[in-house]
Amino acid sequence: MENRIKIERAIINITQDELAQRIGVSRQTINSIEANRYVPSTVLALKLSQIFNKSVNEFFILTEKD
Amino acid sequence: MNLNESKNCERTKLEQFLNKVQLPHWYKKIGIVILILSFITLLILKFINDVPLWFGIGLKHLMLIALLLISLSREKVEDEMIETLRSKSYALAFIIGVGYSLLQTIANYFVDLFLGRYDFSNDLGHIQVLLFMLLIQVGFFELLKRTR
Repeated sequence: MENRIKIERAIINITQDELAQRIGVSRQTINSIEANRYVPSTVLALKLSQIFNKSVNEFFILTEKD
Repeated sequence: MNLNESKNCERTKLEQFLNKVQLPHWYKKIGIVILILSFITLLILKFINDVPLWFGIGLKHLMLIALLLISLSREKVEDEMIETLRSKSYALAFIIGVGYSLLQTIANYFVDLFLGRYDFSNDLGHIQVLLFMLLIQVGFFELLKRTR
């Protein structure tokens, strides 16, 4: 699975730290999600969806490996 | 379904119970202090004769309690990734702990055989296995946290 979190974050112009505070996780967790080392839960994905004002499918994309 | 409802759906009752069992973050510091002090005292005891047996056993139990405090204390930011890493570290500690008790028993057997002792009653104590498992859990958890 790929994600566009970093791009979406850049669009709304917030740092990893700010995003982490808004959804109640640590900055390292955001970093791991962006680097594809961690796949977040549905709850966290929905929180990101609220922040970015986009549906989850728009920033989490399934690849052929999935 | 709002976010809180979906959060409750996603987290099982067991997970919610485990979250309640956790201790505040400052317990970790207490655990580390107790662990270091009891370890140093145990080292000093090795060089002193005529120490009551119960004292050494008591210190090992104290180390066990200290490691449990470290293991159960929360992180500064306790999020779902930390919970995942903690679960992984417990799973690893369990598997390695069982492997350790099996291999250590076999190693003891061959050492005894090599040294010509044939009693083979050299069994691992529960404190030794539990200390090893908790050390592995705490160590792996820190390692996973740093490499996340």
